Amino acid sequence: MAEEYAGPIIQMRHVDKHFGQLHVLKDINLEVAKGEVVVLIGPSGSGKSTLCRTINRLETIDSGEILFQGVKLPEEGKELAALRAEIGMVFQSFNLFAHKTILDNVTMGPVEVLHRPRKEAEAEAMELLARVGVAEQAAKVPAQLSGGQQQRVAIARSLAMHPKAMLFDEPTSALDPEMINEVLDVMVELARQGMTMVVVTHEMNFARRVANRVVFMADGQIVEQNTPDEFFDHPQSERAKDFLDSIKGH
Amino acid sequence: MSANVVSMRDALYEAPGPKTRRRVKIGTAVSIVALIALLAFVIRQFYINDQLNPRYWSFFARWTTWRFLLTGFLGTLRVAFTAGIIAMALGLLLMLGRISSVKPLSAVCHVITDLFRSLPSLLLIYFFFLVIPKYGLKMPSFWMITVPVALAASGVLAEVFRAGVNAVPKGQTEAAMSLGMTHGKIMAKIVLPQALRIVVPSLISQLVVVVKDTTVAYVVSYPDLMQNARVLISNYDALVSMYFVVALIYIAINYATNRFSIYLAHRSGTKVISRTEENPV
Ligand SMILES: Nc1ncnc2c1ncn2[C@@H]1O[C@H](COP(=O)(O)OP(=O)(O)O)[C@@H](O)[C@H]1O
Ligand SMILES: [Mg+2]
Repeated sequence: MAEEYAGPIIQMRHVDKHFGQLHVLKDINLEVAKGEVVVLIGPSGSGKSTLCRTINRLETIDSGEILFQGVKLPEEGKELAALRAEIGMVFQSFNLFAHKTILDNVTMGPVEVLHRPRKEAEAEAMELLARVGVAEQAAKVPAQLSGGQQQRVAIARSLAMHPKAMLFDEPTSALDPEMINEVLDVMVELARQGMTMVVVTHEMNFARRVANRVVFMADGQIVEQNTPDEFFDHPQSERAKDFLDSIKGH
Repeated sequence: MSANVVSMRDALYEAPGPKTRRRVKIGTAVSIVALIALLAFVIRQFYINDQLNPRYWSFFARWTTWRFLLTGFLGTLRVAFTAGIIAMALGLLLMLGRISSVKPLSAVCHVITDLFRSLPSLLLIYFFFLVIPKYGLKMPSFWMITVPVALAASGVLAEVFRAGVNAVPKGQTEAAMSLGMTHGKIMAKIVLPQALRIVVPSLISQLVVVVKDTTVAYVVSYPDLMQNARVLISNYDALVSMYFVVALIYIAINYATNRFSIYLAHRSGTKVISRTEENPV
């Protein structure tokens, strides 16, 4: 069964997608192995978010196929919901449930989706919140937390589902600079523990520290991919060189 | 809920400085003088027109007058409360149908919503009072007023709820989807509670409209507050004094409606962020 599945966790084959006239994903082929950390990088509008979101089908695709643990993504209904429950997602804008306490945000998935007893879910939620360093905020609502704290709660909320893989879409882009590291540290820790991760980010230090592979996208295509050190020190394509120059300028 | 919610008032106005405080004081004094003058004028007009004559007021000392008004008051409450509940439930259903991905259902709910919304409630009442009985469906006068008032309000409430649902950021739904929540659960646990919070002010205005709509109950001879007041008016020939008292009662009902809605919203874990909370109408 799924536990014994040894192939790549995520497989994208010849994936194409349009937004109207706009060709946002062009023949994407990508595999992510169990425990691998893949960093997606590229200019704004190159399709990184869209690619990330097709993996748990927040975006549909026009053609090609996407497999999760060797099985094609279900298209709808309970099967799709069950698939999404296995893939964690962390958004740029946190998207914590605004009307719920921090604790309730983290127990929402386990209680409503996995039907775990509330007491048990709360005990685990408190452990997770402690792990990301926001346990003392459990009774507050999201608006009372800083951006960095909210994003760490969002990570805890995903972890509460015991995901097989996690997607991060620019998790630190909306944060004040002094809060970026508190979030990255949590992600580094996750990577060390063997979590399979796809991370859209421009944080080069993070990529160098934990990424197994950097995938560079431009105009909806994967232009090149390499180990972080190779990619950042010796980019092959002109576009990657230009892009790296532009972000190093900051 | 002790969130650091910035009230609308705080957001709109800075803390007053010394000059502003002086101006506020002067403004307050001027308004009080104006109010007293207005009140004096009204009393004077009453006096000139002999409306202060005890014969227009003495019957308010009788228990039977109040009992009759109380009966009407309870009638109004019964109609308004029932119509309000039906309107909210139906409005919610119409909205859910309208935003459903099942196209025919959505189209039907859209048409019904627009129909109820655009027909004057009085026309709906006449329909239930004059047309439906012709086809053999006899209902008590209570339902003849309650159902049309509820239908009229449900159309507006469906739109109010829909505006609320649309105002919930898309990221909330996406986060819930990514946890593996199903469509129905997302609606019930994530979207509707937040949509409700957003629409509480409009919801209150609409429930006040429901209370006001019940005043045409005399059309179907249902003994509501207004109908009973009219009976008393013709008995005692006391138009102004009676309308004056009845107006005060309606204001009290609507004030209570306001507080009750906010109380309900609070109980459902909803933070109401609006001026209504600070300055009930
Ligand atoms: N829902 C949408 N509808 C139409 N166009 C979209 C939508 N989402 C993204 N796009 C467009 O698709 C392109 C790729 O977007 P995105 O995947 O967000 O890029 P990135 O994350 O790399 O900045 C952009 O040109 C963007 O404007
Ligand atoms: Mg993006």
